[in-house]
Amino acid sequence: MILLIILLLPLVTGLGILFLRNSCTVRIVALTSTIVNLLLTFVVMGTSPAATFSAEWNNLMGIRFSLGFDGISLLMLLLTNLLFPFIILAGFKREQKQVSILNFLILLTQAALIGVFLSQNAFLFYIFWELTLIPIYFILLLWGGENSRAVTLKFFIYTLAGSLFLLIGIIYLVQLTPGIHSTDFSVLNQLHIPAATQIWLFWVLFIAFAIKMPIFPFHTWQPNTYTMASTQGVMILGGVMTKMGIYGALRFLFPMVPQGVLYWQNIVLVMCLIGVIYASVIAFRQTNLKRLIAFSSMAHISLMAAALFIYNYYAAQGLLFQVVTHGLTVVALFYMVQLIQDKTNTLELPQMGGLKHAAPKMAILLLMIVLVSVALPLTGGFIGEFLIIIGLAKQSIWVALFGGTTMILGAIYMLYAYQRIMLGDKNVSFKNTTDLVRLDYWMLIPLIAILFILGIYPQPILNLVEVSANTMQNLLTSATGVGTMMPH
Amino acid sequence: MSALIFIAVFGIIVLYLGFANNKAILAPVAIGGLLITMALSIKDWGVGSKYFHDMIVVDNFSIAFNVSMLIITTLIFLFGVNYYKRMEHHVAEQYALMIFALTGAFLMTSYSNLIMLFLGIEILSIPLYILAGGKKSSYRSNEASFKYFLLGSFSTAFFLFGIALVYGASSTFYLPEINTYIAQYNGHLPPMLMVGLLFILIGVSFKVAVAPFHFWSPDVYEGAPTLVTAFMATVVKTAGFAAFYRLLGMGLLPLPAALEKTLWVMTGLSLLVGNLAALKQSNFKRLLAYSAIVHTGFMLLAMLSQHDSAGSVLLYYTFVYSLATIPLFIIFIHMKRSAKGLEDLVIFRGLYKQKPWVAVFMTILMMSLAGLPPTSGFMAKYQVFTLAISQGYIAITIFAIVMAIIGVYYYFYVLREAFTDSEEPNPILIPFINAALIIACGIAVVLLGLFTFTIPI
Repeated sequence: MILLIILLLPLVTGLGILFLRNSCTVRIVALTSTIVNLLLTFVVMGTSPAATFSAEWNNLMGIRFSLGFDGISLLMLLLTNLLFPFIILAGFKREQKQVSILNFLILLTQAALIGVFLSQNAFLFYIFWELTLIPIYFILLLWGGENSRAVTLKFFIYTLAGSLFLLIGIIYLVQLTPGIHSTDFSVLNQLHIPAATQIWLFWVLFIAFAIKMPIFPFHTWQPNTYTMASTQGVMILGGVMTKMGIYGALRFLFPMVPQGVLYWQNIVLVMCLIGVIYASVIAFRQTNLKRLIAFSSMAHISLMAAALFIYNYYAAQGLLFQVVTHGLTVVALFYMVQLIQDKTNTLELPQMGGLKHAAPKMAILLLMIVLVSVALPLTGGFIGEFLIIIGLAKQSIWVALFGGTTMILGAIYMLYAYQRIMLGDKNVSFKNTTDLVRLDYWMLIPLIAILFILGIYPQPILNLVEVSANTMQNLLTSATGVGTMMPH
Repeated sequence: MSALIFIAVFGIIVLYLGFANNKAILAPVAIGGLLITMALSIKDWGVGSKYFHDMIVVDNFSIAFNVSMLIITTLIFLFGVNYYKRMEHHVAEQYALMIFALTGAFLMTSYSNLIMLFLGIEILSIPLYILAGGKKSSYRSNEASFKYFLLGSFSTAFFLFGIALVYGASSTFYLPEINTYIAQYNGHLPPMLMVGLLFILIGVSFKVAVAPFHFWSPDVYEGAPTLVTAFMATVVKTAGFAAFYRLLGMGLLPLPAALEKTLWVMTGLSLLVGNLAALKQSNFKRLLAYSAIVHTGFMLLAMLSQHDSAGSVLLYYTFVYSLATIPLFIIFIHMKRSAKGLEDLVIFRGLYKQKPWVAVFMTILMMSLAGLPPTSGFMAKYQVFTLAISQGYIAITIFAIVMAIIGVYYYFYVLREAFTDSEEPNPILIPFINAALIIACGIAVVLLGLFTFTIPI
């Protein structure tokens, strides 16, 4: 029942705030709703996974409205509900048109994302998966920057194309279920699909997730969309929606088409590694700060995707840890981008420089976030990427070597960008720039604190992640019999 | 049966009501008549009787389709209350002709004899020829009427010729007997029968605008008065598909391989041609005409899968498609009025700014046409794909999915216009009754998606 409340709370609040006029009230109500949801998530973490909700929906097509969770869903749920208060907070005290509708759409996205992570039924999963697209489409279209019309349509068609292939895959899988067809994950996971079918079915399912993440040749929607999107839109996209791809792959590919995964593993790994290097190199060449971060995000996601398809114990643990830290880092980084844009009226790096003279505190906080992003030891970013690299090295030293370039190249382009923004001589045009205000501290300090605490004392999350990693491991070993051994 | 007789007589009554010179009573009377017809139809549910030497079969299939068409026509009449306010003369004829067309549609859902099908198609078509030319002073409308009439009679000639050839080979007009006659040849039909069947298929394909027999539909849709276009896109399509399903799904399928291949090619062509042409349209009515051709392709896919429940899926598909299409046409009428007669897609600009709620429900309707969850359009497509995949047609289903993706582009292109601010905003006036109906249709579209109905037919 508590799962149903978590799912419906953002939706109900969202509908409610449509009738509020005062934009300040709207934001406070929305923030309260997300915080309550976060607290409820902590309650859920204390309960046993047996706490599910299930109801009949459409018996004829074998569709049940069933919510539940395992370790992986719980982690994703935690990430979503942790980030959304910050996403709402990022809109406070800003000039925005139609605040109530914007916040309604954000909360609707949250509800849909929660639905994706909690569904225990493939059909329900698909409905929520598509439902996330509708509010984000409008957030990008109506609150996006210049050229939002064309870019948004491309983003929409691109991601929808992937989803429809996923739909084909789901229908095909459901047809294979014995007796009265059922779309429950538990039933689909029991299917023993012939290897020849798995080999093509893998691609039908994989494309949707590859586009969402995005993995190398399917990424072309991403830089433009990120650059054009409003801060809140890009936080949702980069912070949570990219993780949908990873979650979907874990839910569908590994349990249902394990032999397909094995068959294509090397190809996909090569795609991921190309993505790592390609995105890093392009990020280095960017002059627009937002595009730079978009490509850097793609490089990190590509590394996570590589870890996903290596699937050994370390990589899995690192991947799930990195899911959390990457989400937090992206939100913090894009908030900083917004601040920099407010203060300098530009995002072009060549026109910046010397901002630290005007805003020293901001310079310190940005440095901390950048350090997390480049995976400096003692930060959250390090733990995840380090575990991933160990995992990759277990498979092949070359994969680890190429994957490891994210850390090196990442350090280069992030620090170079930092230097171009903050350091250097006093720039006269930023003379009147003010430093951070109280609201910015409320936004940034908790994010940075969590990231550093995770780096210094990662055990709580690692414990949670271990459950998830074991869940994933069990899925694999039971399905293929080839999963790698636990280290102890 | 009583429903059929009642509606035929009722059409004449409405026609004579025109002499009363009171436009206000027309719509209520017409809607009342439709409701009575609906009650009479439902009364026969589950009875399953045959009339006129078994030429007409009133079974659950025909009743379900008739009721679906009656609901849609009622909706059109409700919208017509406002639409015909501006019309001074011959309003009664408009209602009466639609009711006559409905009579033909009833025959098309319940024939078991090819002659009856011919009569049904003619009774449906002739009022439509007149309705398409409803705007006498408009050059476009006259063109539409004339084009529809010429091409329509041409295809009817084909159809009739086909019936004659089939009769010549099998010496019967009755579908079940033709079916047994075909079965005894075990796939190797005599040429005369083959050609006859092909001609019949061409005739029916023309009525539902399957590519490559679709060329009339964009021109006619564009030229005809918009409410008539809405009628053609929904009721006529439903009737055509009911007839098609009776002919194939409940009758002649499985056909000899050559003919079945032809039908598959027509399915693929409808999806492809409709989509590619729709991408390039700047006129909203032509856009919906091409999108209707694409939907025809999806429905053909369901029918050709030869699954037992294809009939009920078709019913669901046509009904939710109609439910989403009509309000869109109505929104278009109001936008066109506000834009002083323009029909381009840009006229939708500023809708969100001035009428946010209408824009929101337009989003839902467009989502339904594009097939996005949780709307009923998605459930309809889901069922179609499920049927096709369950019968092993995976390649064509993947092709259909790709086509559905292309479809999203132009539906959302229109939607994007609605959410863009207009440079020179004209006031958009949407009367309360129409706004309420649009919202009701939007809610129905979502509810039907969440609680999918299946009627055993």
